[in-house]
Amino acid sequence: MKILVTGAGGFLGKLIVERLLAHGQTDIRCMLRDTSKAAGLQAIAARSPEARLEMVAVNLRNPAEIGPVLEGCGMVIHAAAALKGSPAEMFMDSVVASRNLLDAVAALHQESKTMRVVLVSSFGAMGVSALGRGAMVNENTPMETHPEWRDVYSYSKLRQEQLFWEYREKFKFELVVLRPGVIYGPGGGHFSNRVGLSLFGTFLHLGGSNLLPLTYVENCAEAIVVAALYPGADGQIYNVVDDDLVSSREYLGLYKKQVKPMRSVPVPYFALMWASRAVEGYSRRSKGQLPAIFTPYKTQAMWGGNKFSNAKLKTIGWRPVISTREGLARAFAAFRVEPEKAK
Amino acid sequence: MGFARGMDGDLGMTDLRKLRVGIVGCGKIADGHAEVVQHLEGAALVAVCDREPLLAEQLAVRYGVPGWYGDLGQMLERERLDVVHITTPPGVHLPLTQQCVAAGAHVFLEKPLALRLADCRDLIDAVVAGGRQMSINYWPNFDPPAMEFKEMLARGVVGEPVHVEAFIGYDLSGAYGQALMGDAGHWVHRLPGKLFQNMMDHIFNRIVPLFPDVEPEVHAFAFKRRDAVRGDGTDAMLDELRVVLKAGGVSAYGSLCSHARPVANTLKVYGTKNTVELDYNNRTVVTASAQKYPSAVGRLVPPFQMASRYLAQGKKNVGQFRRSEFHFFAGMSRLLELFYAGIRSGGAPPIPYAEILRVAGVMDRVIEQVYPASASEGGAA
Repeated sequence: MKILVTGAGGFLGKLIVERLLAHGQTDIRCMLRDTSKAAGLQAIAARSPEARLEMVAVNLRNPAEIGPVLEGCGMVIHAAAALKGSPAEMFMDSVVASRNLLDAVAALHQESKTMRVVLVSSFGAMGVSALGRGAMVNENTPMETHPEWRDVYSYSKLRQEQLFWEYREKFKFELVVLRPGVIYGPGGGHFSNRVGLSLFGTFLHLGGSNLLPLTYVENCAEAIVVAALYPGADGQIYNVVDDDLVSSREYLGLYKKQVKPMRSVPVPYFALMWASRAVEGYSRRSKGQLPAIFTPYKTQAMWGGNKFSNAKLKTIGWRPVISTREGLARAFAAFRVEPEKAK
Repeated sequence: MGFARGMDGDLGMTDLRKLRVGIVGCGKIADGHAEVVQHLEGAALVAVCDREPLLAEQLAVRYGVPGWYGDLGQMLERERLDVVHITTPPGVHLPLTQQCVAAGAHVFLEKPLALRLADCRDLIDAVVAGGRQMSINYWPNFDPPAMEFKEMLARGVVGEPVHVEAFIGYDLSGAYGQALMGDAGHWVHRLPGKLFQNMMDHIFNRIVPLFPDVEPEVHAFAFKRRDAVRGDGTDAMLDELRVVLKAGGVSAYGSLCSHARPVANTLKVYGTKNTVELDYNNRTVVTASAQKYPSAVGRLVPPFQMASRYLAQGKKNVGQFRRSEFHFFAGMSRLLELFYAGIRSGGAPPIPYAEILRVAGVMDRVIEQVYPASASEGGAA
């Protein structure tokens, strides 16, 4: 079966291709927006001479480019998404791009009736604001009711996932949704906002003792591939987090020890919530003179603190390829030589 | 509360009900318009539209706008709008304006107004013929320091302008620049004047009002400072523009600079009485100190005078911040207040149409000189 991977040149996409190869899938079409960024994939192809890896340049904003590259594929793993940019751009590259892909999938599926679609969604699509502190987040957690109050990324990922379910309902193709937590590893970001934020040159440690829903990039890719290839996964959602998760405080401590020393100011949850109310109130009163970067809703969602389960994923045979201890060691070793990317 | 038209279909001078405002084109800049309009006392943002309905939806959801559309005709028919903000690429400004005016709406347009001077003329003619008003988003010229500068000019502080320097910086690695450089198909690459055409309104709309009303001499040259390594359509885009102008007894330099840091945004006017420098980013407007005292003593004093003038500007800015008047788009708020007031009263629009056309005329001349091939072929955005 030929498998199309969108966003194949990205941080996660490259590892998805590697794990597909590891699972014996050798006919893979790698979709990238810009083939000049295919160096990583070409290295993978060189290591797997028996595999057939095609590189195709497609801009998912342009519907006309999509249909031809879907031809002959029995599965699409959709990993392309926007992580930054203006709200309109993020929406274009996550939601409009997905709608264009789904239109092409629907057209092809109506002919062949054999299509399985795998969506890489996000924890951001789940409505954790309404949950109490310490509540378990799993596949039964409802979707965000007001993702637009949280951040543009969460909003775009939720709207994207909604579209996939709507199209599945209408066109009856197979759909598997994975919701990764914080994907980390060499080449990725040094800090999730769940740990904290740099503000005016000071790192505010906001996560306290909250567990971080980490998933090492290779483990996440493995989860996507296991679910994609599992026959009974149609219509299922799988949350993706690793075993032996560390707390925000532990992560920051290890980072300081293994990457570089840095000053941080711990902000307790009650103080953060108080500040969030003040910031939101000021932003409203001043008619947006300063943006409401903190609001009680965002704070509850991001720093409220939850527990996370990967039990459902394990029922279909997923096991972490790399332990959290080893994953952190590898990531921090890379961070020592990689400059931190601007968010 | 909705707006009800008078018997003649126009807004009465004393009608204090909110203007019903819509936006067509829900890309990046539409956020700025939505942000500003939602806080204006005399207006309600009631609908947004984009030919990509998902884009219209996201803008509406994020700003709590009740209506969103994928078709302008539908929006105009159902919403009975008083004003439409047109925030699409400029290639479609003319037909969209004609459509809005035919539906009885006034229009507020993003710059550039259209691809060519001739289209700009047609656009304004359509507005005038339809008995509506238009304006263009020259918002930096309505920021607090720009308004202060206009007052200084009116009070004769500067005297007669002799020479003007307008400088705008651009960050190719910034949010807008990345969108442009990451997509060879971006509409800006299809403009006849490419990046310059999308930005240089803000150079010439500062210079032209200081010129006498005669056809200016325009001498432009441009170059690409970055390395051409991408091998796609973005490589054709020049990134450094220098223009020398002269009209009557006033000369000017205009620059668009993509590589100098910090990314500056300034206007310096050398007048017969005083030289004034306006910094749009830092929100300061100061007159240059003159040496009043002789010899070495005279050279000691001016830096302290300048320091005290900047300090006074800083204090003024703090006061504006405390009064919540220091928003990023403060100039757009002011411009829209004036535009909406003109609509209510039937008074003059805040930017004279002749001035808008003179800016468009200078831009045509620049494009002819720096992109002669695309100027002669025409462009489509």
